[in-house]
Amino acid sequence: MSNPFLTAASIPGHGVIHLALLPPSTPRLKTTSYQYPLKLISPAPVRTDDEARHLVHTVYLLTYGGGLVAGDTIDLTVTIEPTTRLILLTQGSTKLFKSPGLHVVSKQCMAVTVAPDSALCYLPDPVQPFEHSCFEQSQTYNITVPAVDSQGTGSLCVLDWVCNGRQANGENWSFLRYGSRNEVYLVMPDEKRKLLLRDNILLDRDDVRDGIANRMHELAVFGTLILFGPLFRSLGQFFMAEFKALSRVGGRRWESGSESGDEEVDAAAIRRAKRHKQESVDGVLWSAALLRGCVVVKFGAPEVEGGRRWLHSLLVEEGTVVREMGERALLSLR
Amino acid sequence: MRAAPSTTENGNLPSSFPRLHLNTSSNLRSRPSSNDAAMTNPTLHALLLLSDSALPLGSFAFSSGLESFLAHNKSRLSTSVSKTKAFETFLEHSLANVASTALPYVLVAYHEGPTLERLEELDNDFDASTPCTVARRASTTQGRALLAIWERALSSSTSPSLASQAAAKALTAFAAASKSSKPDVYGLQLNSHFPPLFGLTALALGLSAAETAYLFLLNHAKALLSAGVRASVLGPYQSQAVLASESLQRCIRSCIEREGERKVDETGVTVPVMDLWMGRHELLYSRIFNS
Repeated sequence: MSNPFLTAASIPGHGVIHLALLPPSTPRLKTTSYQYPLKLISPAPVRTDDEARHLVHTVYLLTYGGGLVAGDTIDLTVTIEPTTRLILLTQGSTKLFKSPGLHVVSKQCMAVTVAPDSALCYLPDPVQPFEHSCFEQSQTYNITVPAVDSQGTGSLCVLDWVCNGRQANGENWSFLRYGSRNEVYLVMPDEKRKLLLRDNILLDRDDVRDGIANRMHELAVFGTLILFGPLFRSLGQFFMAEFKALSRVGGRRWESGSESGDEEVDAAAIRRAKRHKQESVDGVLWSAALLRGCVVVKFGAPEVEGGRRWLHSLLVEEGTVVREMGERALLSLR
Repeated sequence: MRAAPSTTENGNLPSSFPRLHLNTSSNLRSRPSSNDAAMTNPTLHALLLLSDSALPLGSFAFSSGLESFLAHNKSRLSTSVSKTKAFETFLEHSLANVASTALPYVLVAYHEGPTLERLEELDNDFDASTPCTVARRASTTQGRALLAIWERALSSSTSPSLASQAAAKALTAFAAASKSSKPDVYGLQLNSHFPPLFGLTALALGLSAAETAYLFLLNHAKALLSAGVRASVLGPYQSQAVLASESLQRCIRSCIEREGERKVDETGVTVPVMDLWMGRHELLYSRIFNS
């Protein structure tokens, strides 16, 4: 399997991250190779605070100049071996610079192999497409189905979000093309695979008579959070429960007009009420769906910061991400 | 016998062979009305059947996010003029989104005339690509209704062409397989999503690809307009005016042009906020529709 000669190493934009398991239980970052314009930085791994004291590795995905110039192609292959845990982060939003036309597309592809009992947490900053940029990205997560019953599948907590550009410069979804695709596959030991989830967004100026901004209906940021696997099951249940507990659209707001003395004393309910208030101030619209073993959360907000605040507050409140992956996992959302 | 026509055809009727044939035979009997398109177009009957709002699919129960859209924008949609305008934008965006997410499944099922195995794969992939509880429910409810209509009513009227016969076979096999509903090795089940089944049904009844695509989108527009009338966004005459309008026809045609050739694994949402409205339909205080 292991090839001592890294064939991919000389191709621009190619990168490999391989988080290996040193028997019996020490995860080690075996490979982080990259080529311009991609840059990978891995700080020292951190142990989680819980009893299991998992060693969690982190890799920052960076690009020279903080973004992609027209025609840049990034191709990243990530392998996470059994029981290891990896955080992928960005340092600031991924900027997409102007392209001369629809024929010059910048691309970013990431393929991740997620072994049994491992976990990936990828909560990046939003992608920021500048005016006249032209970009497509795809994230493919191949979940290895465990061969034995004693193992669980790998787990995913991955976010994909995009904002409307440089608002200060008056940009508002003014790119030429933006496409982002997230796919989760279940892979059998015999390499056969089946599509578990596909989330694909396509925004192309040529497809639209009235401009992309019109299609986004006053949202400045739109995102999708995908949760899968045993490690993030409780987080998924939390999102589903919170979604059901949202106040009814078009109904009377009974909770604000309670006259009886026995107000909610439950701490969670108080936090929830506070969060709902912040949500409506920030204009966050979100929905959550449980399907095929995944929880898919979609959200949009008229301000990037509002969306960021909302997601951060929910993830912190539930606590799984910080407990299982460490504080660092949320760095891009702060 | 006529092969399945390709999408590149415009709205025109397919291959002229059956028409010529009918013309000759009727000319012998010299009946003047026989030159009527209605008398000679063999697919017209099936086309009218599938476009009929009386087809028991239950489409009237779904508003594809319209009801939720209206509820979320209540404050700014106070006048009837603003409502009508917002509705027209919604209609256009909804058509675009359906065309980019579902239409390729209709047409791929139509063109491939798939085997049972491929049809199951299309069903799985559409299910995987619809991460919205409300939208999935709407699609599977109508898909199951279509299967029931197929089994109980339409299957006996399969068009004689080879492609149609194969489509009929696949549909019947799928209907049987969907009843057993055993999860596969991955733990996933059949869901009977509407778009691929619609494509195959149209093929089985002998419709052309162009007719199938147009019909699929027009039916969506009709369902939305009907929902619009019942949600009192626009009146019945207004609704008919929109339905008959050149701009709706243009919108449908441009959707087909843009999305008709798309592969199923490249489908995606083009109006992302639709998923939010659809998903949040469950949060409405009062509802008259199922989606």
